[in-house]
Amino acid sequence: MKSKLTHAVLSVFAALAASLLLLFLAAPIVKLVADAGGEGLTRLGSDAELRNSLLLTGITATTATLIGVLCGTPLAWLLARKRFPGRAILAALLDLPLLIPHPVAGIALLLLLGRDSAVGSRALEIGLRIVGSPLGIIAAMLFVSAPLFVSGAREAFAKVDARYEGVARTLGDSPWSAFHRVTLPLAGRGLLASAVVMWARAVSEFGAIVILTYNPKVASVLSYDRFTSFGLSEALPVAAALAILALVPLTLLRALRTDTRDDR
Amino acid sequence: MISLRSIRALSCLLTLVLAACGGDARGRLVVYNAGSLARPLKAVLDTFARRQNVRIDQESAGSLESARKLTELGKIPDLIALADADVFPGYLVPAHVDGYVEFARNRMVIAFTDNSRGQSNITPLNWYSIITRSDVEVGRSDPDLDPNGYRTLMVWQLAERAYDIPRLAERMAARSPPRNVRPKEADLIGLLEAGEFDYIWSYESIAKAMKFHYILLGDSVDLSNEAMAEFYATAKVSVRGATAGSSVTFTGKPIMYAFAVPKNAPNPEIAGRFAAFLVSAEGQAILRREGLDAIAAPHVVGTRPVWAP
Repeated sequence: MKSKLTHAVLSVFAALAASLLLLFLAAPIVKLVADAGGEGLTRLGSDAELRNSLLLTGITATTATLIGVLCGTPLAWLLARKRFPGRAILAALLDLPLLIPHPVAGIALLLLLGRDSAVGSRALEIGLRIVGSPLGIIAAMLFVSAPLFVSGAREAFAKVDARYEGVARTLGDSPWSAFHRVTLPLAGRGLLASAVVMWARAVSEFGAIVILTYNPKVASVLSYDRFTSFGLSEALPVAAALAILALVPLTLLRALRTDTRDDR
Repeated sequence: MISLRSIRALSCLLTLVLAACGGDARGRLVVYNAGSLARPLKAVLDTFARRQNVRIDQESAGSLESARKLTELGKIPDLIALADADVFPGYLVPAHVDGYVEFARNRMVIAFTDNSRGQSNITPLNWYSIITRSDVEVGRSDPDLDPNGYRTLMVWQLAERAYDIPRLAERMAARSPPRNVRPKEADLIGLLEAGEFDYIWSYESIAKAMKFHYILLGDSVDLSNEAMAEFYATAKVSVRGATAGSSVTFTGKPIMYAFAVPKNAPNPEIAGRFAAFLVSAEGQAILRREGLDAIAAPHVVGTRPVWAP
């Protein structure tokens, strides 16, 4: 009897806590979209700068995410599967970009990629400008968001029982095809979810980008720029348009993920 | 299961958070200032805070952004100090401010480091030929957001006229394309230090405070001299206006810094005391030590407010 009561009380508390957080997260976005969503969508037709900026944001964030997935997947697999000296340190180092304040991250990248740096000057020689170009945006996005993918992907790989790979190997699969045919599909949902989180984080980045590439302006920079030069009435539609447009890929990917699970 | 220990730990944390949110017993002074005032003002604020046992909260942003915090976000500081006195009549009078005090001058300079390309040859006489060299990158701030940004464009126009060199402004613009623009002049400092830019358009106060080398352009073009106001006024720069699509034209003027205590300042009494200290001989000496050219006779523009020193 007593345990039943405790159970009920705890359930009420859990539901209350969940609703409070949901409200806290949803209310600002709902208010933003309600206040400025219509205006934001209208602007999509009339405001070329806004359109270009959203397009640039989408392209750079997607490129950064693709690079992150391509290079982060093997890294995540290594961290999840292999024991090697310094693994714990490496994993901790990978979390560091998440806690560095973003303008500092921008400055660190500048020192690495600027035109007087080893990397930046070589790139300029072959005609690639990093700072002040979309490449700078991609670099900033990749730096602040890739650790989210790696950490999520690592968890996804860790959840796949290594024995399945072992079985595939004993049945004659090479390590590559065991990974491709067994591990990847089983970890797929987790990888996709991590990639979505990385993409969303990349879209929202401001602090590091504004150091490396102010012009051309991504949506976050444009929204800041509109606020300082025109005020809230001009900044909110930009943010609202971004929120509405970002909802499309986010929902699609989440839905894709759920479908896969339902199929199983 | 929720243990007694975890409840205790949670309540400890909650107490700490609440304690951090509650103010301490000391008085508080919230200051919004232009990026180029951050350092000199902090020096004055620190001295004031030590003596008066006041807690200081300083927020540095571009002058227009600082003004927007009041007009758009409804955040009211105890004191607001801006890099262009004209921002007060443009944005804050009469809703937030009746009168403001002009208290310091500055001049436009070109700042550089030992690593800047062409720095060994640059002089006050040939600067425009060095910064238009094709291997040189010149940084500047956004004319739509920052007074330093539109002042840079004014200097270009004035130099073209003063030195009688056709298309000089255009050539300087070519070495300082949009990718070399950042929101405000303080954002350029790191890029100059990192070697991304060889030269940046900045203020003398910043160049001094950062111990950069800098070129004095001469007061016919650097917007520092009251006596040259008439010539400065021949420079006109059109920037974006208060609504998208509109534009506002700024006319060249001697650079003047100004501050005010907003009407609804939460702590007007402390703000008044600080205002008096800022324009006192001691306050001005601190400003000058930090490289800002505090003027000998700070003066009120507009209605004389009660807090005016």
